[in-house]
Amino acid sequence: MSAQTYKKFENAGSTDLPDKMTIYQDCMNKFNESPISPKRCRILISRLLRLLLNGETFPETEATALFFSISKLFQHPNDSLRQMVYLAIKELSGMSEDVLMATSSIMKDIQNGSDLVKPNAIRSLAYVLDESTAFSAERLLKSAVVSKQPSVSSAALITSLNLLPISETTIKRFANEAQEAIGDLKQFPHSSGANSEYYPNSTFTTQYHALGLVYQLKKNDKMALLKLVKQLSDNGNLLKNQMAKVQLVKLVNDLVNRDNQLFPQFQPILFNWLSNKFESVQIETAKLITSFASSHKNARLVSPDLFASTISTLQGLLTVPRVTSRFAALRILNKISMTSPEKIVICNPELESLINDSNRNISTYAITTLLKTGTAKNISSLISTITKFIHDVSDDFKIIIVDAVRTLSLNFPQEWKSIVKFLIDVLKNSEGGLTFKNSIIEAIFDIVSFVPQSKEVVLENLCDFIEDCEYNEILVRVLHLLGKEGPFTSKPSLYVRHIYNRVVLENSIIRSAAVVALSKFALTKNDSTLKSSIISLLKRISNDQDDEVRDRATIALKLIDFTSADDENSLIAHDLLQSKKFYDLPSLENKLSAYLSSNTDSFSTPFDSASVRKFTEDEVKAMDLKRKQEQVFNNTSEGSRETPIDMSLESTTSIKEQRLDTETYHGASLDQHQEELVATKYADELMNVEEFKDFGSLINSSKIISLTEQEAEFVVSGVKHIFKKHVVFQFNIKNTLTDVALDNVAVVCTSEDAESSKLNETFTLPIDRLMPSIELQCYVAFEKDSDVVMEGFLNNLVFTTRELNPDTQEPYEDDEGFQDEYEIDPIYLNAGDYIESSFIGDFESAFDELPNEEIAVYNIQEDISLQEVIDKLVVNTSCLPLSNTQFAPNDSNSHTLKLFGKSALNGMKVALLIKMIKSSKGIVIKAQGRAEDEELCSDLVNGLM
Amino acid sequence: MGNYFSSMFDRLWGTNKELRILILGLDGAGKTTILYRLQIGEVVTTKPTIGFNVETLSYKNLKLNVWDLGGQTSIRPYWRCYYADTAAVIFVVDSTDKDRMATAAKELHMMLQEEELQDSALLVFANKQDQPGALSASEVSKQLNLVELKDRSWSIVASSAIKGEGISEGLDWLIDVIKEEQL
Repeated sequence: MSAQTYKKFENAGSTDLPDKMTIYQDCMNKFNESPISPKRCRILISRLLRLLLNGETFPETEATALFFSISKLFQHPNDSLRQMVYLAIKELSGMSEDVLMATSSIMKDIQNGSDLVKPNAIRSLAYVLDESTAFSAERLLKSAVVSKQPSVSSAALITSLNLLPISETTIKRFANEAQEAIGDLKQFPHSSGANSEYYPNSTFTTQYHALGLVYQLKKNDKMALLKLVKQLSDNGNLLKNQMAKVQLVKLVNDLVNRDNQLFPQFQPILFNWLSNKFESVQIETAKLITSFASSHKNARLVSPDLFASTISTLQGLLTVPRVTSRFAALRILNKISMTSPEKIVICNPELESLINDSNRNISTYAITTLLKTGTAKNISSLISTITKFIHDVSDDFKIIIVDAVRTLSLNFPQEWKSIVKFLIDVLKNSEGGLTFKNSIIEAIFDIVSFVPQSKEVVLENLCDFIEDCEYNEILVRVLHLLGKEGPFTSKPSLYVRHIYNRVVLENSIIRSAAVVALSKFALTKNDSTLKSSIISLLKRISNDQDDEVRDRATIALKLIDFTSADDENSLIAHDLLQSKKFYDLPSLENKLSAYLSSNTDSFSTPFDSASVRKFTEDEVKAMDLKRKQEQVFNNTSEGSRETPIDMSLESTTSIKEQRLDTETYHGASLDQHQEELVATKYADELMNVEEFKDFGSLINSSKIISLTEQEAEFVVSGVKHIFKKHVVFQFNIKNTLTDVALDNVAVVCTSEDAESSKLNETFTLPIDRLMPSIELQCYVAFEKDSDVVMEGFLNNLVFTTRELNPDTQEPYEDDEGFQDEYEIDPIYLNAGDYIESSFIGDFESAFDELPNEEIAVYNIQEDISLQEVIDKLVVNTSCLPLSNTQFAPNDSNSHTLKLFGKSALNGMKVALLIKMIKSSKGIVIKAQGRAEDEELCSDLVNGLM
Repeated sequence: MGNYFSSMFDRLWGTNKELRILILGLDGAGKTTILYRLQIGEVVTTKPTIGFNVETLSYKNLKLNVWDLGGQTSIRPYWRCYYADTAAVIFVVDSTDKDRMATAAKELHMMLQEEELQDSALLVFANKQDQPGALSASEVSKQLNLVELKDRSWSIVASSAIKGEGISEGLDWLIDVIKEEQL
């Protein structure tokens, strides 16, 4: 009978979730019964847990009622029931505030309970205690930590770890016990049952948990951690547990990331670990070494021997039978391939054999890695391998591969032929959804815009493609590209035919896009027959049945008509047909939404589009390329940013653990888009200040430079704004004090060379009152007497401090405050501030064409890496690095950096060819600059550093 | 005849039905000590109860389910969660704590107004009689205003949990009352 009721209750095999309210009612009934039936209650709790683990929640009143009825089950001594009760308490602790009512009962079980329930009781302790009650568990926990029973000791260690953010002082007292537990090889209590030979005596997991706790307790004490590592690594057999060993590697990782000078002393240990019997330890060690080496300032601390054996360890792991190990090793290699592919070329044979791995994750990773390690020589053979492969993987993998090919095209522009062939082939012949096709189109568009010589081939192939394309979105994009690029090719009429075919055959969305594309061909230079045929085509279209298509055709005809006239209208019409300027989209978005939300004059004044910044095509391309380069770079640096020791132990759903996570996680820095928005915001705010209206339009703004430590009392950052005849320094000042307001905050800027300063301060706009944790701007304006002025300024923050009345948060009336000063970092105007980055397809010929030349040689004595010099040069000159020269190969001692930009004042182009050689004495830089403007050229070349 | 029935009920009770008894009172009154005095007959070292202790004990053929709820101010609001199906309340008073006698009286009367406790018997222990300066049972009774209680069986017993005096006398009375009322 009992078996039957059991079955009925469980309704085994059903995947549907039980009804929430039924479970709730059942729980309330059964748990409050007297006497209770332990078996039924256990089953009920398991169903309740199933609900909770599937993400269901109960409102607070119900959760509280559930908790109290579950707490009544403590009256029954059944161990299995008690275990379930603990599981339920842990889950409910997030929903009900009253879990502390279980404290006494839990503690009693920890003291007198059976070995079965003790670990459960200990683990639930972390969920019920708070700051004021934690100390009462101290003695219990301490004796549990040193318990001979591994599961009790583990539970106590984990609970201590979870209690750490709640009551640090209590847990700190366990340091010695936890330390002891690392070395203590605890065995499971000897069981004489028949099974004992099948089960290990211990897994030694306690070591892992103990190490985790000890790390948390000592993480701020570098010397203690060093001692710990030494102690644990000297005696190689002390740590038996695999996870504990991995943890130890992570600990070393943490140490060397905090102080990179420690790395050499760990090298012998790392060497050892690379051949550890556990694959996970090998992988973790390899990860440590490679991510450490990927940072340019650390690279030279890693001995070539160590790096080589790391790579060969990884190479070995690529052929092990375990999928996870293969995957992990491949992932590390992939990361290396993003910055220094040349280092892992030796793994190519293994990588190539992984292309056919049955695990798709691995094969895709192998391909993308190979694509990066690919040299100019083997690219075409690689691509033919992928062509075979790509047709039988899913869309997600296809997209990854296409993205990899896309970066390849940016790195090896000269290989565009085979790449384009591959892309066109997959575009035409492979099955796939919109996102996949779209990613191919993205890649093709990239090639068109950054590899000009590929243009005609690509366009012709795209024409073929649109003859048979099922996606409107893609067709519209292709038509737009044809319209943009087609008129400048050698045979524009070819494209006209393809585009017109679309007008005849497709739906109205595509027809209207085609009309716009067609109209652009009417402006093709010196081809009047083409123009007249376009006009006749458009006339035919203006009888189209769709309104939009008709309207577009009509307006296009009208505009074309205007262009033939020789007046002002002609220019406007030209611009409308084929615009050469593009709006700064973040700023346009901002202004439009501000316009819509203001609503004060109910839209009686039209939106002022002139106030939005516009960019020329080259500028857009420059920004685009920059963004893509940064993307690649962010991907690579991600590895080193991983949290050093991941402490998510067992209960991942725990609220308290999340608390721990948020404390260790430091928010990511502003991303690119946000940075743009901030820049736009600053520019807008600046232009709204009455005093600056006379300065004319803003020519250029620098990036945000921080002028104090982030932890300073007053955090200051600066932005340099350049106007035609003026310079404005914007200081963003944040008051981080809690009880003091600052009045009349201003910045006093003193020129470093006051005698010959070419800047005259005209006025300062101080901040009247800066309340705690508020950030406001103070502006200092200068008049400059020549176009380009380079100077440094020493800055002093001056202000009057006023103590705040804690009740009103207002300064005391009778307190006059006192004057104070605060020195902040100097701000430098350099040539780069007058430069905007710009894109050019063919750097060499552009460089040769520019008329004025200037050469300067620098000697840097400091011991810094080439990459650091490059980074600094790119920032200082504000130019765009071209042909992927912004990455210095790690193993080479020389590098050539190509930079291109143009003057923000007059749009004159400037190109820089910078050669660097690193020797034991430092770095020698030879900068060769060519520009349209002589002065700009010499200013830039002579003010590089 | 009546005897026969009652012994039959007794047997039924003894096997099936458990009696729920709550031990309440301000913090430090000696509730936990009384609970373990009842269960194991010894004095245990206690610390302030955060939450509750629950023990099942047999007393005169009856199964008693005794709940000792913590008396700290922060825990008192949760008492009511355990009122349901309570046969009797044992209210423990620290007879030496004259300053908080009024607080104890307030908590007691507030508790007794609860719907769920209308049918429960009340036993008050005037505890800590072994200590000098302890008020006598009648004085405590006066301070707690016990005479005002209507429609309820109640009794007050002077006790010392440390010495084990008065506890079983009180419980004997309580069991008799419960048996009487529930039959």
